[in-house]
This record gives sequence, structure tokens and C-alpha cells, in this order.
Amino acid sequence: MSKKKRKFFFFLGLILFGLLISLTAEYILPYGPYEQNLDIALQAPNSTHLLGTDRYGRDMLARTIAGAQITVCSAVAVAFIAAAFGTFVGLFCGYHKGKLTTVLLRLTDVFLAFPVMVFAIAVAGILGGGTINAAAAIAVVAWPKYTRLVRNEVLPLRREFFIEAAQMSGFSFWRILFVQILPLVIGPICITAALDIGTIITEIAGLSFLGLGTAPPAAEWGSMMSGARNLLQSAPWTVFVPGFAIFITVALFQLMADSLRDLADTKSTR
Amino acid sequence: MNKRLKCLGALLIGASLLLTGCGSDSGSGSAAKDQGKVFRYGTMAYGPAMQNASTDPHDTYCGWSAVRYGVGETLFKFDNNMDVQPWLAESYKQIDDNTVEIKLKENITFSNGKKVTGAAVKACLEDLIKRNDRAPHDLKIDTITADGQTVTIRAKEKVPALINYLADPYGAIIDMEAGVKDRIAVGTGPYVAVKVTDQGVELKKNENYWGDVKPKMDKVIVRSITDGDSLSLAMQSGEVDAVQGLPYASLANFQDTNKFKISSTGTSRVYQAAMNFHSPQIQDPKVRQAISMAIDKDKFVNVLLNGNGIAAIGAFPETTAYGKGLNGPKFDQEKARQLLAEAGYTEKNADGYVMKDGQPLTVRWLTYTSRQELPLLAEYAQSSLKDIGIKVDVNATDNYKDFLKRGEYDIYAQAIVTAPTGDPEYYLMSKIYSNQPYNNGYYSNPEVDALIDQLHNTFDRSQRNALALQIQQKILDDNGVFYASFLKMSFVMKPNVEGFAAHPSDYYEITPELDMK
Repeated sequence: MSKKKRKFFFFLGLILFGLLISLTAEYILPYGPYEQNLDIALQAPNSTHLLGTDRYGRDMLARTIAGAQITVCSAVAVAFIAAAFGTFVGLFCGYHKGKLTTVLLRLTDVFLAFPVMVFAIAVAGILGGGTINAAAAIAVVAWPKYTRLVRNEVLPLRREFFIEAAQMSGFSFWRILFVQILPLVIGPICITAALDIGTIITEIAGLSFLGLGTAPPAAEWGSMMSGARNLLQSAPWTVFVPGFAIFITVALFQLMADSLRDLADTKSTR
Repeated sequence: MNKRLKCLGALLIGASLLLTGCGSDSGSGSAAKDQGKVFRYGTMAYGPAMQNASTDPHDTYCGWSAVRYGVGETLFKFDNNMDVQPWLAESYKQIDDNTVEIKLKENITFSNGKKVTGAAVKACLEDLIKRNDRAPHDLKIDTITADGQTVTIRAKEKVPALINYLADPYGAIIDMEAGVKDRIAVGTGPYVAVKVTDQGVELKKNENYWGDVKPKMDKVIVRSITDGDSLSLAMQSGEVDAVQGLPYASLANFQDTNKFKISSTGTSRVYQAAMNFHSPQIQDPKVRQAISMAIDKDKFVNVLLNGNGIAAIGAFPETTAYGKGLNGPKFDQEKARQLLAEAGYTEKNADGYVMKDGQPLTVRWLTYTSRQELPLLAEYAQSSLKDIGIKVDVNATDNYKDFLKRGEYDIYAQAIVTAPTGDPEYYLMSKIYSNQPYNNGYYSNPEVDALIDQLHNTFDRSQRNALALQIQQKILDDNGVFYASFLKMSFVMKPNVEGFAAHPSDYYEITPELDMK
């Protein structure tokens, strides 16, 4: 296994290991993320509660680990939906010529012109709070970049001999799109999506922090930070722990995406 | 080259930020030297959202700003026990059930030097009932007559709490001839507004103040700071001399008595949860009782509110004569579980929630977030009720009015000032009486309605207090409303600030006693 491959699998393994812990946490940890006990509220990290407790006496470690499920799973889902939809539109616009393509491309331009966070805040504001609404708000603004990317990849392919051959063989429009073209552009999409997950995690946490995402008592990192904001000076661990979790997770996803890109570069130079 | 340019750009931005920060600080320092004694006050309770960004007392809730910041004064005021005392009035006499005669003090002048006469008070009260939305409903004024320093008010019907209503900030007496310009009203208070914006109020000393104690500050700057953390930081950095409305969690940062002073008082702002009697599961008295017994009010107050609250029994604080000696539900989760079992919730599902006819007992808890205590109460109630097997779906939203309209809630938790006029009738009439628009729980008990009617027709203070207690006891016996706690209001100030104390009415802040040594 090459060094680049090892690097990629190392980061991927770390992420999967983290997710595995998060999914099995309720069977491993002695405290549940939603178990309140006001008698032990706001305890600093100690041997019983390794990362301390919050104002309701809930174990910060249990909450932070449970938070990974909500934050990471919704970020991965958003990245997947945005990538899938954006890719579909991009494939269509790259291969098909016509009025619909022009309309779709202008629409993509309109969405690209919006600052992601501002638009997501507006959408989440209209739809109301909640994890699903926040994820939908981010997905709505995240797809156009995939459309641009895929269309740019597809345009030169359109005149390739194998496409013309497929057309002459009587392959259907959709078959050419998904069987002949898609496998050739999937690499850059995966790298972009992997890089995107880190950004989406911060955006979801940001929306929750503003009260537009996951609502309490759900253990979502942004919402945990927001709820403990005014404890920053008196009980800093309640803010720093979820903040650090966001930092580590985003960094891991970025490193994994970078190593994936390095891996893809090697293949292309070969 | 590109890297160098980026570095240079970053340096420039950093330097400009640093300079801007220094600039504002040094500016305020020099201003303080030029303008004599200046008091800077940061508050969370001022602004367009609170409908009080003006000193015109007749406009919505702006009377609160007029009275709080020392611009306006009312005919009567509340003392620390919330009893009514004369202020601009010398005395009053109840002529008959509908008529009251008020005698004004002789020596009172508006800040423009004009004497406050009966005619001036009449003009002001007439404008009040013409423009204010609450005053006509409260005062029910038919005619006002003025003769020298005497004002006679005749109401359309019996209004036993008329004098109390006149102590509401909307009753601040202003000079109607001078009018209200740029949100500035001419009142009789120790300070005169010079600039009123959405962001704050600037005041100067009233050189013509009529009171024996003269104002001591040359200038007062009231700044609206609606973010709790910014307010806390402003106080810590010394940018302001005093603050009001700090988040409870932040109060822990101000315990050093060498650097800060805290003035606290209990208020009649209650955090209550109205049970929705239109909701099938809530209609069961045993379920209501179980809910009321499952939440530990003392822990809520001592831990989640950091002791900045007072556990409630009824609708009014125990410091009032109409809030003492009530018997409310006691915290007992074991008994609560038993009650649920008696109500037929005998099975349990996999998540531990109790069920009847295969359906888990679920309660939709509606509340809003603009009062920091309400989401805390909701989250605590969710966990406490889970302990006895009730699933609570919290809906903490600032669109709560839509949900109220659609009836999509089983419990509605809100914060209300129950005795804004030092009298129990207002709350009982608007929140408890059957079919009133603000009776959000649709609570209806003919006995209670009859008692409220009786209260409405009773003038004797002790009889009124006894009736109010009787009514509350019935509400508690029905578990119609769950009363969680009363707000304890705190002012944090620098140690050299004097004469600045929290008042249970929440009306009086900047007074002539205010001084900085």
C-alpha cells in the first residue's frame, strides 16, 4: 500500500472509528446524554465526569459523543443529497443542449450568487428551526457548485468518439449520461463532497448556534455551544468541549478529503 | 509577492481593528470629564421590541421608560411592599363607588418650570385614554373635572383598583401643552430626556425638580444592550456603570464585592404553565395533578436560576397580602406515578413512557425564548416528566402566537407580571376568568368566576386580599395552572454607585437618590 493510500485509510479509519463509538456510546458510557441530575450541575471535568457536566447536570462526554451522530450524519446526508442533485443537473446541462439547460444554468448562477450562510439563515428562518430544516436549508445552497463542476467535466466529453459511438449504437440519452459519462466524472465529485462535509458541519453547527437548527435538548454541538454561551466565563468546559469536537471533526474530514485528492492525483498522473 | 501583499493586508486590517477598539474607549473617557457626573446604564429592557423606545407615556409601553429613567412621575407610586402611596398626589378620597377625588401637591412643576395644576392633569389623562390601548379598559373613565389642585375622576362603572391603575407607568403626568417631540415628553421627574432613539435615552439633570432630594448626576446615558453576553462584558470592562437584565449564569462573574455591587428584589413576574383544558389528556385532573407534582420548583430556582428566583405557590408572591398561606402541589414523583396509574396509564412502552389504550402519554409544551428562564423550565420539565413516564415535546418558538391561535399545545408556559398595579384583579380577570382572550388554558370554573365578579365589586382591601387567596386556592386545587417561580430582578453596579436599587414593581430605576461617589 502506498504512503498516500495509507494516509487516506488512516483518516477514514479514524472517522469511522469515531462514528462507531458515537453509535455504541449509549451501551458503553455510564451516563446517558439526556439524563439530568441538578445535584451535579456544572461540575468541572473530574474522574467521574471526564469532560464535566452542563447546567442540567448532564455528562458532557456522553452529550458530545451523542452529538457526533446528529452533526456528522446530517452533514454527510446533506453533502450526499447536494452532490447527487447537483451532479444530476450538471450531467444533464453538460450533455443536453436546449432551453431547459439555459434555464437550469441561470438558476444555478442565481443560487451561486447567494452567500451560503445568509441564504441558509433565510431558508431556516422561513421553514422554522429543526435539524431537518437546517439540513434542507444548507442542501438548497450547496448543490450548484456540483452542477458547475460536473458540467465543466462533461462538456469536453460530449465530442469524444466513445460517446458518438454510443449514440450511433442507439443507446438512450439517460444510459449515455449515467453509464458512459458519470463514471468518468465521479472522482472529482467525491473529493469535492468530502471537502464539503467539513464546511457543512460548521454550517449546521452555526445554524444551531443561532437557534435555527437543532433545538434543545438534542445533543447537537452548535446548539450545545449556544445554550452554554453565557457560561463561557464561569464554566468554560460547557462551551469548549463541543467547540473542540467541531474542530477535530472538521479537521479530520478535511485531512481525509485532502488525502483522497492526493490519491486521485497519483492515479491521474499514471 | 502575492503572499507579501496578503500579509500586508492582514496587518492593516488587524491594526485598524485595534485602533477602532482603542478609539471608542478613549472617547468615552474624555466625554466623562467634560460633562460632569455621568451615569452610564446598560439595560436589556429598552427598545422597539419591548414597545418602549420613547418617553411618551401614552404610547404603548413607553410609560415604563418615562418612569424608569426618571422623566415622568405618576400620581401614585408603589412602595417596596407594592402598596400604593401618593406621589404627585397629596391625597385622595373615594366620593362614591364610581367617583374619586384626587388632591395634588402644591409645589410640583414640570421640567420646563410650569406648575402642575388640576387642569394639566386632566388634559394629560384625557390624552391617555384617547391614545393608550390599555388605559381606557383599566380606568373606564367617564368624566374628569379639574378645579385648582383638585381632580375628580368619575368612572363608568365600579373600578375598585382605580388608584392602583393610576400608578401604572402609563399614568405618568406630562405637559400636554409642550407636547411630545422626537419621542421626548416633558414630565415632572428628576431627569429630562434630551435624546431618545431606538438604541437608548440620554438624560440631563432637571434643574427645576420639585422634590426635596435633588438629582445628583449631570447626565445619564441609558443604552439598550439586548445581548446578555455583551451586557456582561460591558459591565466587566467598565464601559457602563450599572446593568439590568444579566443572564443568571453571568451573575457568577460579579461576585467580587470590591469590584461590583448587586441589588436584587423579588418581583411579581411569575413563570407559569397554563394547562390547556381543551386537550383530552389534560382534562383528566389526575394527569394535571401528576404534572404539577413532578417538577421540583426549588431545584429549578436554586440550580438552573442560580438562586435568582423564588419558588412560587400561587400567582402572587408571598410577600404580598394576597399571596400568603396558599396550599400548592408538593414535589413528589412517587405520588405522581401513582396518580398516573390511577388515571389508567398502567402500561409502559419500550422508551419508558406510560400508555393508555396503547397510546403513550404525550404533552406538547409550548413556550417562547425571549425570556431566558422559559426554555430552561421547558427542558427541566421535559426531563422531570420523563421520570414519571410522560413524554414532553417542547416547542420553544417565538412564533408561539400562531400555535396559540391554532390551539396546538397541551401546556403553555409564559412569564407574566401578575400584579403590575399592586392588585390581584388584573391577572385573575384576564388570565383566569372564563372565555377571556388571554385565558390561554381555557380554564373555566363557575365558582371561580363568581368569586372574581365579587372581587371586581369589592372596595375593602382586606376583603379583596381574602377573595384573591380563595380564588388562587381553587385554581391550585384544580391544578389549572402550574406556578413555577417568580423572577428575582438584579442590578449589577460599580461599588461607587449609590441610590440605585431594584424595586419589586420594576418601574423605578433612575431616581433623584442616584449618585456616584
